[in-house]
Amino acid sequence: MTLNPLRRALAQRPLVLALTRRELSARYRGGALGFLWSLVNPLLLLLVYATVFRLVFTPRADVRPYALFLFSGILVWGFVSAALHDAVETFRSNGPLLRKTIVSPEVFPAACVGARLAHLLLALPVLAGAIVWAAARGSVRPGPAMAAFPLVLLLLTLTVFGLALAVSALAVHFGDVRDIVGNLLTLAFFLTPVLYPAGAVPERFRFLLRVNPFGTFFSGVHDALFFFRPIPAKDWAWMAGTAVVCLVAGAAVFERLRDTLAEEA
Amino acid sequence: MSPASAVSVRDAAKVYRRYGRRPHGTLKSALLSRAAAIEGGVTALDGVSFEVAAGETLGVIGANGSGKSTLLKLLAGIMRPTRGSVEVRGRLAALLELGAGFHPELSGRENVEITGLLLGLTKKQIAARFDDIVRFAGVEEFLDAPVKTYSSGMAVRLGFAIAAHSDPDVLLVDEVLAVGDEAFSHRALEKFSEFERAGRTLVFVSHDLALVAERCRRALWLDGGRLRADGPAPETVNRYRERVAAVEGRRRLGEPRPSPAGADRIGSGEARIEGVRLLDSEGRPAGGVRAGEPATLEMTVRAAAPLSDFVFGFRISTVAGVMVLGTNTALEGLRPERFEGEGRVTLRLPALDLVSGVYSVDVAVHAKNGVPYDALVDVLCFEVASDRAGAGLWGPARRWDFSDGIRWRN
Repeated sequence: MTLNPLRRALAQRPLVLALTRRELSARYRGGALGFLWSLVNPLLLLLVYATVFRLVFTPRADVRPYALFLFSGILVWGFVSAALHDAVETFRSNGPLLRKTIVSPEVFPAACVGARLAHLLLALPVLAGAIVWAAARGSVRPGPAMAAFPLVLLLLTLTVFGLALAVSALAVHFGDVRDIVGNLLTLAFFLTPVLYPAGAVPERFRFLLRVNPFGTFFSGVHDALFFFRPIPAKDWAWMAGTAVVCLVAGAAVFERLRDTLAEEA
Repeated sequence: MSPASAVSVRDAAKVYRRYGRRPHGTLKSALLSRAAAIEGGVTALDGVSFEVAAGETLGVIGANGSGKSTLLKLLAGIMRPTRGSVEVRGRLAALLELGAGFHPELSGRENVEITGLLLGLTKKQIAARFDDIVRFAGVEEFLDAPVKTYSSGMAVRLGFAIAAHSDPDVLLVDEVLAVGDEAFSHRALEKFSEFERAGRTLVFVSHDLALVAERCRRALWLDGGRLRADGPAPETVNRYRERVAAVEGRRRLGEPRPSPAGADRIGSGEARIEGVRLLDSEGRPAGGVRAGEPATLEMTVRAAAPLSDFVFGFRISTVAGVMVLGTNTALEGLRPERFEGEGRVTLRLPALDLVSGVYSVDVAVHAKNGVPYDALVDVLCFEVASDRAGAGLWGPARRWDFSDGIRWRN
């Protein structure tokens, strides 16, 4: 069992942070709205889903206000999906750096995850504002269970980093990985409790939420930020286990392919 | 690795897969097979071994595709050798491409920080050296502009400045000085000298043979991925040059050249050189002669219209560009009267007393004021073979004499 890629990424923290910052500032430089653009996509999605579900389907009573219910899941899913999409491309776009400088390659997937995590963190105040507003109107009653969210996010980030390690290295060797990841993410979006609460899934299909590595994390996000109820111990164990498995497996794949990255990218 | 070595390479080989062929056939084999067996790959480096002592400046020369850049990448640890081992002791920095880490949208300031981190500096070190870096690169006024607005010269200077201030024990440099202007090259070379004086190890790849001969004490010559020579830089450079010339010569000489179309040619065309030959002692066209034997250079020239102002000239140089003979009819005191139609000009050398090696011939026909009617540079190469040992250019017959007190083994 090797966690070397994680160790090396941590050892190179200043570089990971600088690359993360580079990703963020290069992306929004020159645009008048700058960083606000990163909020446009989740807000738009939120608007679309909220409208469609309110007008076409009637949301279940336990997920009202439905827009607020959607908000946290969509933000967090945006992080997961964008980080993995970026990871698939990272060695291609950083090819010159990889080939021409002495650098630990794990800093690139780490920076992908870091940059997308930063987007999420920057959007959280907006979510907080929405929760406060809903609370003021008496629609929800926030509680101390919210405090679980940072830990859920930490475990999710480790999971995503593990997967990012694997897909970034595999994408260098196999051109199909980009398409596979794209399709799996689309599939996973519907298999993950983002648009619906985990509780709405019939018992006999509940295992799908467990098989999908993200399932439990999103029911955790809903527990913490919408239902404001404690996350069951079983879910915590499942999240921790998922994080460990993804990290170890991702690190092993990365380690195996690491030496050939500079040649193939 | 001996204790005084900064770099140790043992039997290193690097095999690349052929383009389009995946190193791992399937996802499964990629993850399960211990090492990717590369069948029918391209061998970029094969069985190369050498050590570099700490404080040494080593030049690496060779044709394109000879494995120089691959060697640097192995030294840098960017790639692993397919076989053998590569060890480097101390902090390592590589300048494989100036400005490789630059992001075009970010400012010079931000790029300095990222590149510094990539080179292994801490934030504190970068901050401390920032002003020096900027001054060295001469980009003070543009620090906050995005690098995409920099001239290529500015970007190169900034890239070099960061690496030069990263203070490594071993610096690897790949042909980066060729891109800057004169002033920059000068400063860069000064920086290298400073580096040498500080006892740092420098390995640099260059096509600038004169620079390698001058700046490096030792040089490696790579040829087709193998180490062809490893020794004092001037010697390695000479051997390489001779080899290059010999390969060209074999292709070019030996047969008469009725229309020397391939050579570099300038001139107004009022007269045209139609052929250049080297003839051996028996008057046969030859690609080489033995030292000390007679040789004849001959050019066939045609005047487009009758000329009354003309000079014929020959020049013999070493392939390194040192002229060993330059002569023309004006220098010899011949005064032109008339040249019409086709003519043959012959320069007879009763004894070609040159050291063994490959030489190159330039020919010209021009006006007395030097304006060329036709001039061909490096129109043919020939090889001088010699049993006489010795360095330099002149290889005459010679004899040693010793007084009685000096005795030699038989």
